[in-house]
Amino acid sequence: MPLVRKPSSPTGAPVPDGRQLSEIFATGSDDDRWTAARGAADSPDGLSLLADALSRERIPRVREAIFTALTKIATPDSAAVVLPYLRSDDAAERTGALDALRAMPAAAAKFLPSLLNDTDPDVRLLACEIARVLPAGDGSCALGELIERETNSNVCSAAVEVLAETGDLASLPILARCAARFPDDPFLTFAIRAASDRIGSSD
Amino acid sequence: MTDPPEITEEEFRRLADFLYRRTGMVFTETKRYYVERRISERMVATSSESFSVYFAYLRSEVRNEVAQLINAFTVNETYFYREDYQLDCLSTDLLRERVATKRPRDPIRIWSVPCSTGEEPYSIAIWLLENWKDVDTYDIEIVGSDIDTRVLEAAAEGIFGKRALMRLSPELVARYFHSLDDERWQILDDLRQSVRFSRVNLIENRETRPQGRFDVIFCRNVLIYFDDESRRVAAENLYDNLMPGGFICLGHTESMSRISPLFEVCRYSGAIVYRRPQGLRA
Amino acid sequence: MTDKAGRRVLIVDDAALVRTYYRTALEQGGFLVEEALNGLEALEKLLLYPFDLAIVDINMPHMDGITFLRTLRSKDIPVSGIPVLITSTEAGPQDMAAARSAGANYYLVKPVKQETLAEYAAIFCGAPR
Repeated sequence: MPLVRKPSSPTGAPVPDGRQLSEIFATGSDDDRWTAARGAADSPDGLSLLADALSRERIPRVREAIFTALTKIATPDSAAVVLPYLRSDDAAERTGALDALRAMPAAAAKFLPSLLNDTDPDVRLLACEIARVLPAGDGSCALGELIERETNSNVCSAAVEVLAETGDLASLPILARCAARFPDDPFLTFAIRAASDRIGSSD
Repeated sequence: MTDPPEITEEEFRRLADFLYRRTGMVFTETKRYYVERRISERMVATSSESFSVYFAYLRSEVRNEVAQLINAFTVNETYFYREDYQLDCLSTDLLRERVATKRPRDPIRIWSVPCSTGEEPYSIAIWLLENWKDVDTYDIEIVGSDIDTRVLEAAAEGIFGKRALMRLSPELVARYFHSLDDERWQILDDLRQSVRFSRVNLIENRETRPQGRFDVIFCRNVLIYFDDESRRVAAENLYDNLMPGGFICLGHTESMSRISPLFEVCRYSGAIVYRRPQGLRA
Repeated sequence: MTDKAGRRVLIVDDAALVRTYYRTALEQGGFLVEEALNGLEALEKLLLYPFDLAIVDINMPHMDGITFLRTLRSKDIPVSGIPVLITSTEAGPQDMAAARSAGANYYLVKPVKQETLAEYAAIFCGAPR
């Protein structure tokens, strides 16, 4: 039989080397930085190293590993490191940041009110997706308050999209008032009708 | 048995959109009756008095209800030659790509994780012996891993009942098993010795790393059950366990699109598989 | 007027209601519609099935629309030249420039009227390939 059984594997996956993490992040190869990022969550000064590395890292897969390490730490401090990247001009950076925040909902929750009040509508719009992964009442309540004061119809649409999944009967009058405020936005009108039907049908 | 609850079209859409976002599984209106039956079972099991109560419970991910619901939708039975289109893809396409840069007697390493009671890693072994013309040219190493040590003991023992063998022809059973009695067959010793089993938790880097790097990983029907954070970590661990250019196969209802952007999407014949790029910059 | 019967459009957007809104408009216009939640799922669908047009959002989980477009256009496969219509709330000049340099055929700013979407779909599905 040509199949073989080896006693153990000789071709090991990468193991973090003895150098300081800060040195690897500064001068290491792509593979070295990836491995360093993967191990950094367990290091006592991991958070500051990861924050610094993220600010300089250009390789998407290494950035992904840094975001994952911050997700593993999952504290308000690690979420705070991610937040500024929601404002990036680069769509891939925004995506990486939002994915990381979604994967640490409890840590990100603290920042939701200020994100939903941000002066930049694009930030408010992305923040709606964080509300989706919070405990149902918390997320829907924050989105309801946002919709009541929101002047940008695209931000309202993003909030309605989430409420279609998470909303309850208390969301219905808020949606009705929003529809009345933006009668000329064809998509928002459609979305509010669909979301209201779903919520009303379930409760 | 009570009748399935009446789920309205709107409720069905709400549930279908949630499951699609979370898992990638698509439930169209034609599957509504089937879905209603499963929901009904889960509502009874979770003492939910209405669909909206159940949906809130599902979304809250308390006690991993998403996993329970997926289980209700899927056949969890494991048997030889299950999803054999992927085995066909392995012998027809993936290994051809992998050996392009190898020399005779080089190792080819294949990982089945989770392997449960061993049907998948033994299926891979039998399939390659039967269907891959170069099987004698390379040193093929097959590793099966699981988090559950009880299934690993059973896998190493290699004793199976009729149902596990239902997809194998009598000739294949005669060639690779010996019968213990009317109901049980054991994998031949030679084959049993050629598959190594180990205990691994996919989200623990210190447990995955010692398994080394593989040419092909079969990781079917497990990532779909993980939460977002665990999926990210598991995907990165699997990335480290693949050689550059190596492949990963997920279950047929799973998609890496809900898990991680680390891998390249590839299509071979009818199968979608994922590949570790040659470099981090790729 | 182009013949739209049997023309296949892939809608790529993470918002379920947006996908439903586009689907309704396009199906009324006679198109066949498939959906994907992000750029990764879009690549999977494009490898598996033939399409005449992809309508793609920018902000999506795991793979955004710009990265999707860049990845698609760099692939050495027949489908890599498919027309792509970007729809996004991101109206800033840098996003439009990024979409254009990634290989977008056109850029529509949300909210998009259903009739407008169907009109553009007809134009791009009829465009010489």
